[in-house]
This record gives sequence, structure tokens and C-alpha cells, in this order.
Amino acid sequence: MSEMKRVLVAMSGGVDSSVAAALLREAGHDLVGVTLHLWDADGEQQVGRCCAPEDRDDARRTCEHLGIPHYVLDERDAFRKHVVDPFVAEYQAGRTPIPCVSCNRTVKLTHLAEVARRFDATHIATGHYARLERAADAQLRLLRGRDDDKDQSYFLFGLPQRTLERLLFPLGELTKSEVREAGRRLGVPNADKAESQELCFVPDGRVNDFISRQGNQTQSGAIVDSAGTVLGRHEGVANFTRGQRRGLGLGGGGTRYVLRIVPDTAEVIVGDESQLYERKLSATDAHWVAGRPMKPFHGEVRIRYRHRGAQADVTPRGDGFEVRFDEPQRAITPGQAAVVYRGDEVIGGGFIA
Amino acid sequence: MIYLDHHAATPTPDAVRLAMGEAAARAWANPSSTHAAGRASRELLEAARERVAESIGASAADVVLTGGGTEACNLGIRGLAKGCARLVTSEVEHPAVAKSVDRLQGDGLEVTRLRVLKGQPPSPDELARHLGPQTFVAIQWVNHETGTILPIDRYAKACQEHEARLFVDATQALGKLPIDVSALGADAVALAAQKIGGPAGAGACWIRRGLDLEPVLDGGSQERGRRPGTPDTLSMVGFGAACALIETRLAQRQRVAALRDRIEKSLLAQGAVQNAGPPRTGTVSNLSFPGWQGPLLVAALDLEEVCLSTGAACSSGLQEPSAVICAMYPDEQWRAGSAVRISLGMETSQGDIDLAIASFERVLARRDA
Repeated sequence: MSEMKRVLVAMSGGVDSSVAAALLREAGHDLVGVTLHLWDADGEQQVGRCCAPEDRDDARRTCEHLGIPHYVLDERDAFRKHVVDPFVAEYQAGRTPIPCVSCNRTVKLTHLAEVARRFDATHIATGHYARLERAADAQLRLLRGRDDDKDQSYFLFGLPQRTLERLLFPLGELTKSEVREAGRRLGVPNADKAESQELCFVPDGRVNDFISRQGNQTQSGAIVDSAGTVLGRHEGVANFTRGQRRGLGLGGGGTRYVLRIVPDTAEVIVGDESQLYERKLSATDAHWVAGRPMKPFHGEVRIRYRHRGAQADVTPRGDGFEVRFDEPQRAITPGQAAVVYRGDEVIGGGFIA
Repeated sequence: MIYLDHHAATPTPDAVRLAMGEAAARAWANPSSTHAAGRASRELLEAARERVAESIGASAADVVLTGGGTEACNLGIRGLAKGCARLVTSEVEHPAVAKSVDRLQGDGLEVTRLRVLKGQPPSPDELARHLGPQTFVAIQWVNHETGTILPIDRYAKACQEHEARLFVDATQALGKLPIDVSALGADAVALAAQKIGGPAGAGACWIRRGLDLEPVLDGGSQERGRRPGTPDTLSMVGFGAACALIETRLAQRQRVAALRDRIEKSLLAQGAVQNAGPPRTGTVSNLSFPGWQGPLLVAALDLEEVCLSTGAACSSGLQEPSAVICAMYPDEQWRAGSAVRISLGMETSQGDIDLAIASFERVLARRDA
């Protein structure tokens, strides 16, 4: 790692980034806190909506407590263009996107790298639960965070080496409870704040409502079985994701699950849970952390953030890869990321076709 | 630390600090109370009012003390609008004026906003075309972001000729230009202590004698019924002490302007783009920096211990592109997002400017590094 001078800390106002800053401060680093303002919540009243003024205040209070400068930078345009618009388009195309990957890669860390340069900061720290380790080939490896439950390496597979070179993950070796404990020990003002939402800009999880608030129509259509029999109607394809059981509004006839969404006709095809299990997937737009593997290999593949991971043969192909699982997996969902691990190491990832 | 944000707030001179310290000890009582403690406050409050009045050639009886410049603008505009049917203003007003005007427009007044393209103020003839009886002109004297000087004395003549009413936002003019309301011909003038070394919680609205000024707050009959609420004697003493230094401030004008020219010339040579030339005060330079977002450049310079801003300070911590530069350059929107305001005051030294230039050189070089 290059010589460390000033460190830019990405401060969301949450516990994790606040404690990350406090730990670096305790270690004696010259810090500058930056909060990116990404989105103005609209029509969502719950606490936990993203980029709320109270989050900016929390970030500022933490920086005051640590005696470091704090700046809020406006990245709303980039967030809309690179995260929200593609998110809406993916749902309209019947997929279930994972916006955190492109947000980290395209908006947060890429932009913060540029900000760091303008601030003469050599490094960028975040509150992600992930680790970095330099391998014998001098390249960095991205590893799972020590806390299995909080591990966020899944969202970070897309980061190029030049970004990884500048990154610090002060929480990578800690568990969530150790982080809260450190926060209390270091007097971080928001150490007991609630967890933020997984999908920050849709905190109530009602994607269809969010999409219509953005002025987009999602198509209503029919709910049909595999034979094409119409079983009911739905209000918009964005309300559905593969494997979903709730919210279909179908009476009687046993439990049914969403098998597939057909964007052209806005049909939601439902069936038995057994029909959700598949052995294979193709991923596109792959990124390999330490270079594209030359030949097929055996690894562990996670198909969504909360998936434990399953053993599989992975074959790089073109700009993507093919996966064949040892055991069939439930609800392999187009749009989500497939991330390949070997042990704790993230080999790479791509988006499920 | 090098402070180059004097259009936002000014350092507190020793004389102001001392006067306020003394007032804090002596004048804590309610100046409306008739007992000895109240009289002690009243005495200092009225002495402060005298000093404010003197600094603008006014009589103390015509000075309404307010809780800052924004309140003075609200009072002068909303308090004088009664009976007016039309309002003329500019596109580059401070929000204290612009939002007061928006409110009147919502109440049914017909509003014309004159353009100030490329920092060129509307001519008195252009203004005159919109004037008539029942017309109310609410306009600034000196622009807060560019220092652009509007020809207020000639506007005042035009208003008198057309029997129009004139409110002048002089918050940025005080201490930068000599002000004599007795010769100006305006109907109301708003002032703020914060721009001349006084506290942010003090301002004043001068009002032509004989005009009715309706209060904008409901409450007691303080300030002759024109501004309810217990006057903040402490802040007003600070305002008065700051007004007593206005001559000293004005005497520094040429020296400050030369320093402004020096840093501006250097930054233009480093690729900055000029947002407003003459007529303007010598206290400020507003420049856009290609390849930079204003807030990013301001933050990078702050890390070099140089304090400046992108424009009107905003409470949310989130800086919107400058509405003033947007209005001055409607066809070059990039300017507003990349604009930085460098504003100097009587405390600014040659050494400050040399260090600021060196900091800019270091920071600007990072764009293409």
C-alpha cells in the first residue's frame, strides 16, 4: 500500500462509517469526512429514508466529536443517472436489480476517489464489512468481512484494483457488536442508531410505488400458470421478484410462487416451489478482482446478498461466466449479482442474465 | 487561517467585542422597563440606534432595529407593500428579498423581475419603463455574490418622478459604499450588522418619516409599534460599535480593491473565468473554475485553511448552484455550478492574499494531476 497521508472517510451518518472514522482517528490518521448527498426522499415518511437531513447532522456531529472537517457533496445527478434510472429500467424489464453494486462502483467509490485526489488524500475509508489483503502476486484480494452476518463483500466485487489500492475497511476484522462497543468506547454520538435499510432509497420496500412516484408506469397484467391459464391480475411487474409467494392475491389451489416475469406482456408466471430450483446460471458484465481466471474452477457462488453461497463449477466465458451448481438452487433471479468466492476470497462477480 | 468570506460574515473588531462585553454586564434588563435597570439598557440601546442612524445620515427616530438583515428586508418589503399593485425587482436578489417578493406575488401583486445579464445592472431608463403610481420597487444596492453595484441614486430619481415607492436592500452596501439616506430618495433601506463586524442577530430598517410601516410579527408595541419583541440590546450595542467603524472600513477601500485585483488576476491566469466585472465593489471576486464543482473547490481550499464560499451560505449543509450566477448567465449553466466567491475585508492583508494565491495554485493543479 502506498504511503498513507490524509484519509477521506465516507460518512453516511450511520453507525458503521462513524465508527470507522473514530477508529482511524484513534490510530492517529489525518482525516476528512465526506457525506455524499445522493437522493432526496419524497413521499416516504419513515425514519431510515436515505440521505435525510438528520443523517447529515449525525455525520457532522461525529466529525465534530472527532475534531475533523466534514463536507457534504451533492451527487444527486450521478445517483439518478447511474443508480435510480437503471434500477427502474431493470424492474420494467422484469428483472430484480441490485443497485448497491453500481452505486459503490460508479457513484460512491469512483467519485470519492476523484474527491480524494482533489483533497490530496491518499486513501478512502468506508464502513463496509470487508477486508483487503495483498497476495504474493502484489495484487490486492477482496475478502469477506470477519462478521459473517454483516459481510458486504458481495456488493464490492466490481471495484477495480486501482480503487482497492486506495481503500481502507477499518471494520473488516470486527463484528457488529464489536463495532457498537467501539462506538460507545470512543464516544461516537450515534453508536446506538438503528440499522439503515438495505435498499436505501426505497426504505418501505414498495418498489412499484417508488417507480410510479418517479413518473414511470409499470405495466399491470395477468397472473398465469405455466399452462397459460389466467389466475388473476396484478398492478405492476415491479411488485414481483422470482420466488416470491406473498402479494399474489390468488385464492385457494395451494401455495404458488413467482417463477418468471415476461416484460413484453407483463405476465407474471406462477407455479410450485419445486419449479424454482435450477442448477445453472449465466452471468454477464463480469469483473474479476485479480484478473480473469484462465480456466474453469470450483468455487462457492452467492446469488443474492442473503444467500449463504453454494458449491459450483465456474467457467469464464466472454465478458461473463457460466455457473453449474453441485445442488439445484432456489430462485436464481435475473438482475441480481452472482458473486464467486474461494474460501473468504471474492474471485469476481457478474449479473445474472 | 485565511478568511476570504467577508460577504458572508465579518470578523468581530476588538471595539465591538469590548462594547458587547460591557453591555452584557450592564444592560441585561428589558429596555422597556421603567426602573433603573431597564433605563440602563434603554440608554445603551438608544446610543446604539444613534450610531446606526449617524452612519447612514439618518435620524435615529426613523431607524427600526431588527433581528438581522433578513428581518429588515421582510419588514421593509412586506411592511410597505400596502396599497401597491405592482412590484419591480431584479433577478439576482438575496433570498431575503426574493422570497418576500414571492410572498407578495402569491398575495396577488403583479411582479416584474429585471435581468442582470453578465453582471450588468438594468439602466434607470429600463426601470422607468415599469414604473407608475402604486408601483413598488424592491431592489438591492450591492449584489451579495458579485459585488455588482446598482445605480440606486438614479433609480430613486426615477421612482420619485413616477411616484413609485422604493425599498433598497443595502445589507451588502453598508461599509462598502458611503450611504446617505437623507440624500438618496428611497423610502426604506435595510441594513445588517453582520456585514460590518457586528453580530448576526442585529439589523435595521430605515424608513422615510411619515410612511406607515406595518409590522410583520404580532406582539408588543416596541419600536413604535413597528417591530414587536424585546430589543436585543447586546446585539444592538455591537451593531452600533460596528457602525462607528464604518469610516475606517471605507478608508480601506482602495487598498482592499488592489488586493482583490491581485488575487483575481492570478486566478484568471490559472484558468478561472470572470463572472462579473464593473460596476462592482472592490471587496469581491466571483469566478468560475472549469473542471471543478464549486463546493469541492471550497472544501479543498478549506483543507488548506483558506475560507471562502460558493455564494450565499445555506443552512442545510448542501449547496445549491448559485441562483445569482444562473440568472446572470442563463445560457452558460456550468458557471453557476463551478462558481466561487472570494470576498475581502479591511482585515485582509497582502500576506493573506499571497498565501491564498499559493493555496489556489496547489489545489487547482490537482485537477489534471
